[in-house]
Amino acid sequence: MTTITMENISYQEDIRRKTSKPLIWIGIVSIIMFFGGLTSAVIVSQGGGEFLTIDMPFAFTISTVVILLSSVIFHFGLISIKKGNYAVAKISIIATLILGLLFIATQYMGWVNLYENGVYAVGAESTQESSFIYLLTALHIAHLVGGLISLIIVLVKTIKERYTLDNMLGMQVSITYWHFLGALWIYLFFFLKFIIA
Amino acid sequence: MSTHHHHAKDFLFTYVFSQDHKMISKQFLVTGFLMGFLGLVMSTLFRLQLGWPGESFEIVELLMGSWAEDGVMAPDKYLALVTMHGTIMVFFLLTAGLSGTFSNLLIPLQVGARDMASGFLNMLSYWFFFISCMLMLASLFVEGGAASAGWTIYPPLSALPQAIPGSGTGMTLWLVSMSVFIVSSLLGSLNYIVTIFNLRTKGMTFTRLPLTIWAFLLTAILGVLSFPVLLAAALLLVFDRSFGTSFYLSDIYIGGQVLDHSGGSPILFEHLFWFLGHPEVYIVLLPALGITSEIISTMSRKPIFGYRAMIGSMMAIAFLSFIVWGHHMFLTGMNPFLGSVFTFTTLLIAIPSAVKVFNYLTTLWKGNIVFTPATLFSVGLVSTFISGGVTGLILGNSALDIAVHDTYFVVGHFHIVMGLSAIFGMFAGVYHWFPKLFGRMMNNKLGTLHFWISIICAYGVFFPMHFLGFSGVPRRYYTNSEFPMFDDMLDINTLISMFAIGAFIGQLFFFFNFVYSAFRGPKAPQNPWKGNSLEWTSPVEHFHGNWYGEIPHVYRWPYDYSKVNAQGEYVYGEDFIPQTTPLGEDEKDGGH
Repeated sequence: MTTITMENISYQEDIRRKTSKPLIWIGIVSIIMFFGGLTSAVIVSQGGGEFLTIDMPFAFTISTVVILLSSVIFHFGLISIKKGNYAVAKISIIATLILGLLFIATQYMGWVNLYENGVYAVGAESTQESSFIYLLTALHIAHLVGGLISLIIVLVKTIKERYTLDNMLGMQVSITYWHFLGALWIYLFFFLKFIIA
Repeated sequence: MSTHHHHAKDFLFTYVFSQDHKMISKQFLVTGFLMGFLGLVMSTLFRLQLGWPGESFEIVELLMGSWAEDGVMAPDKYLALVTMHGTIMVFFLLTAGLSGTFSNLLIPLQVGARDMASGFLNMLSYWFFFISCMLMLASLFVEGGAASAGWTIYPPLSALPQAIPGSGTGMTLWLVSMSVFIVSSLLGSLNYIVTIFNLRTKGMTFTRLPLTIWAFLLTAILGVLSFPVLLAAALLLVFDRSFGTSFYLSDIYIGGQVLDHSGGSPILFEHLFWFLGHPEVYIVLLPALGITSEIISTMSRKPIFGYRAMIGSMMAIAFLSFIVWGHHMFLTGMNPFLGSVFTFTTLLIAIPSAVKVFNYLTTLWKGNIVFTPATLFSVGLVSTFISGGVTGLILGNSALDIAVHDTYFVVGHFHIVMGLSAIFGMFAGVYHWFPKLFGRMMNNKLGTLHFWISIICAYGVFFPMHFLGFSGVPRRYYTNSEFPMFDDMLDINTLISMFAIGAFIGQLFFFFNFVYSAFRGPKAPQNPWKGNSLEWTSPVEHFHGNWYGEIPHVYRWPYDYSKVNAQGEYVYGEDFIPQTTPLGEDEKDGGH
């Protein structure tokens, strides 16, 4: 009898194929619960009666357009790889990466705008609602950084032409997470707009 | 030199940074038990203070040094020990220790997989757990001592570093430790769920899964859904403590000084905390229920009664656990109507719980019971699940809860229903699967002695607490001898402390048995309890991959015990039929 070793490459590939997507989906569920908890906290706090409204910075609207566009372009990259067009795929992924960074920049612009209007994140002059705006957006960015790292890995693999029609699992996982980040932002945007702003 | 290097590398990857689920399981078990032992020592020490308030004990001075000058524990250290005892027992022993050990050991072995979905994430899960243990223990030794706001760390006590000594660095470390712990728990849960859904062997349908696996699956789902909310709660607390935000704080005066916080509410923390906190009860309890379902069926040599009802009731318990958190908050000024809704949802849990108890008893009924320590502890769990559950009906009812809220009645209730049930389930699991974990057998006589001391002393500790609670004795107080109305209760407290010392001694038998048997116990046969589930088909010796050659296929549910034909003879000549035995003609699969 032969011992099955875990170092067997085809075995590991098989496991990866079976488990990568479910792993990211369940990870996404836990992130949804995390933000669900925080946004519920906003609603519970609002019940206290002392909740003030805050003007939403226009930069956050630009963020929304940017992240939606990035999702569309990333998807276009996936389609290009399926067609074997690595050159277009590379450009799409680079564009997604740039849009991701632009998203962070517009978020930062929004914060500057809030700060200039006397809406503070922390300290004695902060209020519950002002802190929530900064916290929710910053935590979204923290998750987006994970997405950017995965984008860089996908970019390297695309440059090396590692993805094939049968094997583009890494890219599919990355794109799932990226779309989720977009959806999460849209939720936060409307939540902030209608609940706090 | 190179051989030496090779051996060192082998050692490192086999015993330390192992990705093999069986080794990770042992790592969780040993770490969990070490933490549990510390939690036990802490409780015994503060029971000395409660039983004999103000009396000097040499042992207390020896173990606590300057924290107990002249052998009397300082009040702030008492609060720190109570907090750490709760935290360690609930999270480190009964969440990570229990789930981490048995989910890791049994999920791949019982569903027929060579390992978890991701060995790497699994390894990370253990090491995050280890780091969180170290951080929590380190908090005992920082200035001001460990967190002292109780294991529920309610603000404002936990939110203001200047509130009490334990609200300083100790509290910060508590929060950091728990955040790392939550990451560990999430990584573990991700793996458990995906392994059960995606890596089952051929023929292993969901209605052929052992009840252990169902319990671990539901536990992991509860973890993924509830732990992130605790992380959110902890994060807001960190901001309030360190950055001057006001999520949980408003209009606070401390030392005659007005603080700058306004608009927040500590009740918000309670909502977030108990949204995790109540499912956490079942994160602790469900694995124990799964383990004992398996053991009771195997050791009664009978099919589990109501297999599908068992699954359904666990699902119902898991679902209901998310809509009952308000019963921890009846006294927060909650609208009485909302209180009645939470009372209703809470009392509903009695139904699936009763189904489970009924099924346990009917499985045991007229069984050919083999009394191993695992069987005894499983039956012990059924006992504590009933007696602790009954007092839950009182606490779940908002009108009755008001009278006993924050008294020893609550302490007695949750220690019996959650603490004892879960630890009995864990002991049962260790005795039962010790041959699978270490390839050796534990000593049955010592195990039986351990059980009887444990159950007698445990009831001796927690049953009288209900009377203390009825008399209004509040929990968490450093001393009850300062209040004349509780003078009559002092004897009960002394009695409880005597039983607590007895329980501590009883556990020493277990630890000796555990360590001795792991190295010197008799070698285990492959299937010592004549069980049907897949783990008993894998060889005794451990290697990464679980089975030589192909993974066995499954043809039937795991509870075909004592199956007889029309002539009253065993169908396959034995009183058990492993899951790998194909169904005969006209034979029906039990789970369907």
